Amino acid sequence: MEGFITTYGFLMVTMTLQAMLALSLYLPLMAGQLSLASPGFYALGGFVAAVMSKSVFGFTNQQVFPLPLVFVEMAVAAAICAVVAILIGVPALRLRGIYLALATIAFVEVVRVVALNLEITGQAIGIFGVPQPFSRSFDYMALTLPMLLLAIFFVYRLERSRVGRAFSALREDELAAAAMGINPTRYKVLAFVMGAVLAGIVGVVNAHLLNTWNTRQGTFDVAILVLAYVIIGGSRTFLGPVAGGLLLTALPEVLRAAAGIQGLPAPVAQFLQDGRLIIFGVLIAVGTLFFPQGLITPRMFRRWRAAHPQPAAARRKEAQA
Amino acid sequence: MNTTLFLQQLINGVSLGMVYAIFALGYTLVFSILGIINFSHSAVFTLGAYFTYAFMGLSWGFNGLLARQSLPLELPFVLAMLAGGVVAGLVAVVIERAAFKPLRQRGADPLLTLVSSLGIAVALVNLIQFLVGAEAYSYPSARVLGPLGLPPALNLSTPEAPLIIPTVRVVIIFASLIILALLVLLINATKVGKAMRAVAEDGTTASLLGINTDRIILFTFFLSGLIGGVAGTLVGLSVTITGPYLGISFGLKGLAVIVLGGLGNIPGAVLGGLVIGIAETFAPSSLKDAVAFVILFLILLARPQGLLGKAVVQKV
Amino acid sequence: MSAMLSVQNLTRTFGGLVAVNDVSFCVEEGEIFGLIGPNGAGKTTLFNLVTGLTPVTSGRQFYRDTETTRMKPHQIAALGIARTFQNIRLFGSLSALDNVMIAQHLHTRAGVFDGVLSTPRARSEERHVYDYSMTLLEKVNLASRAHQEARSFPYGDQRRLEIARALALQPKLLLLDEPGAGMNPNEKAELSDFIRHVHEEFDLTIVLIEHNVPMVMGLCDRIAVLNFGVLIALGTPSAVQNDPAVIEAYLGD
Ligand SMILES: Nc1ncnc2c1ncn2[C@@H]1O[C@H](COP(=O)(O)OP(=O)(O)OP(=O)(O)O)[C@@H](O)[C@H]1O
Ligand SMILES: [Mg+2]
Repeated sequence: MEGFITTYGFLMVTMTLQAMLALSLYLPLMAGQLSLASPGFYALGGFVAAVMSKSVFGFTNQQVFPLPLVFVEMAVAAAICAVVAILIGVPALRLRGIYLALATIAFVEVVRVVALNLEITGQAIGIFGVPQPFSRSFDYMALTLPMLLLAIFFVYRLERSRVGRAFSALREDELAAAAMGINPTRYKVLAFVMGAVLAGIVGVVNAHLLNTWNTRQGTFDVAILVLAYVIIGGSRTFLGPVAGGLLLTALPEVLRAAAGIQGLPAPVAQFLQDGRLIIFGVLIAVGTLFFPQGLITPRMFRRWRAAHPQPAAARRKEAQA
Repeated sequence: MNTTLFLQQLINGVSLGMVYAIFALGYTLVFSILGIINFSHSAVFTLGAYFTYAFMGLSWGFNGLLARQSLPLELPFVLAMLAGGVVAGLVAVVIERAAFKPLRQRGADPLLTLVSSLGIAVALVNLIQFLVGAEAYSYPSARVLGPLGLPPALNLSTPEAPLIIPTVRVVIIFASLIILALLVLLINATKVGKAMRAVAEDGTTASLLGINTDRIILFTFFLSGLIGGVAGTLVGLSVTITGPYLGISFGLKGLAVIVLGGLGNIPGAVLGGLVIGIAETFAPSSLKDAVAFVILFLILLARPQGLLGKAVVQKV
Repeated sequence: MSAMLSVQNLTRTFGGLVAVNDVSFCVEEGEIFGLIGPNGAGKTTLFNLVTGLTPVTSGRQFYRDTETTRMKPHQIAALGIARTFQNIRLFGSLSALDNVMIAQHLHTRAGVFDGVLSTPRARSEERHVYDYSMTLLEKVNLASRAHQEARSFPYGDQRRLEIARALALQPKLLLLDEPGAGMNPNEKAELSDFIRHVHEEFDLTIVLIEHNVPMVMGLCDRIAVLNFGVLIALGTPSAVQNDPAVIEAYLGD
């Protein structure tokens, strides 16, 4: 067990973080907006954490960084991301589909280039020695697992609330939603801001976990990878992105581990080791074929719900009668 | 900025812009027919550059399964580029059959196809790395320009203004113009071109008119792979093949180009390529990578359908 | 201006086509007002202008004393104007219940945190919204299928669900765009009764686009006739029926 934790502690924490990133892309998608801006806000959050912990709070790599200060960084990152998201979202969310996707990618690229040019973000080198609140990677689970559960709970409840219904209406048919009195701009921007805040918070944690932050974090590659989490996992229920984020993050490592299995012929083992990203790519392509709705679909829930009637619905029916 | 420098930069910009345009045309062709973004195009582009290298009989580096191997033939650069393009086109055809067609037959969401093409891009890029490593490769300039009888640089100086331009830039501009002209001719003046336009207009009607839609789609993928592969070679020529990821960053710019110009619009892709290529050349080098996207963002705010795209009117 | 809805010199062009051409009329409070005309006459476009889904090219429009010419669709909906669509625009992959619940957006206040934390306010709102939605679904005989996907319903049921959704906005003015399209004569007769019934019960003003002449004549207090975007007649059913211009428009080539 101890060995497993040392080997895979980092991976497990990363899985939870990637699942949250997937949720950050899912939030605007709930309102029908294909935004790939998450990595930009994630990068922003990471820089906030790196700069604050080193320059504002003055901690060094040798010191243990107090957990409450991580929460302070999260709050600051959330505020900054929210403001930036409003500034970008209000004009950009008039765009549709792939045009919006590209405009948000533009934001990701601009964040990267700005960070490359700024003194405070360490330019091309980045920021080293970001102090850590935990001594082992695995210990971050104490922070990231509750965060993930909280994020899941948040989205779950949101989907079943007035605001969540307004989002679904926009996703289904923006014009009809507007004719029903839903202000499209307002709710699209709201969904976009929530995604941005979540991505920023994930960036904060990841900067500490990685011990360093630079412009190679939160690039365009991350955007399309996170999109793959959402689409492969299933884009019509919040559990899809979570499953996609967890599984697809683990997959390359699972392949790497499989290479170590005793008794595999040498070429196979070598291919699993060096060619694992080839397999990863092929699996994504094959995944779209076999799971066109994603791994997890709302239909599964409907079936589950039919078998287990909801207490709330039952109560309502009684009230009705 | 003096005139000399300006001209030099302008030529660099046009040459870069033309390559962007040619590359982006591969996206646009497929988009106009199927309405999907084929992300694997950026990997096919990279493959084209590597195929050309292989057909020139040059040997691979020290890493990867094919380390130090080379093909037993030594084609001249131009032929190698064409052969590389054709093979890249065939790869695109295989991708269409293996990945796009099955999804199309199920009426899949375009986003799903995008992700699938993304998976293929990841697989191909890593396959390249697995086979020939991550190092940079370049075409020896003597073997490129020598057979064409061209010097490494052209001296266009006048007594008042010295002006020396690397020949490859001019070669790239000419090659791109030739490709563009052939493509326009193909689309406007041939039977298959007319069929392509008919399918782009409306696939169902086209097939009712007796056009074999499936074959046209296949041909479009081949064409897109072919010009993508040639564009990859041209980029390899101008900046070396920087590694398996060559096409990924380029692919992103290519997307910016087609969206800027207007999706599925050929003149739009050329205009978008030139705007971005020239703007990048004149921008300070530290901001170079952001320029394309700043322009894209601003233009989209003013014209959500891109420069030459048709505005979509929502029917109520 | 005491009229419920008034449009003044309203015009909308699409390229060279004048879809609505200098149209002026008023709809009085409490009326059932018919809008008829041949295909392509501009009836749906007029609805789109009134609900803000299509911007006005020129002219002005008012709801009671409020000018709505430049308003956004959601602002116009908030004034109390609801509509259905000729080509049915339900939220197809949501349940019938969700469709109707969504339309009560304007009458609820719960924000993100109310919803997520399930505050007492959110809970009481949810209960009211649910109950009222079920009431409306019962009115259109869809309560037993409240949890089914809207797009799985037969055509006629989808039309009635759209009316229920529009009623959920608790509008003062209801615009119905060919609610009887695709229904058989029996269903149309039922629909007429239903429209008369909701007109009474919800104290509504209704504007109705309908091709079926007997249905319009039987239902409407006044009728406006559009032809090629132009208002060619306006009056009581019998007056309109005998108007030579109308006969010309319907029978002429
Ligand atoms: N968004 C649009 N873009 C271009 N033309 C349009 C648009 N909407 C409507 N039109 C045109 O305006 C004219 C009026 O259309 P409209 O739909 O209002 O007619 P209608 O009276 O509702 O007809 P129908 O009885 O067939 O429903 C038609 O010629 C139509 O083609
Ligand atoms: Mg109509």
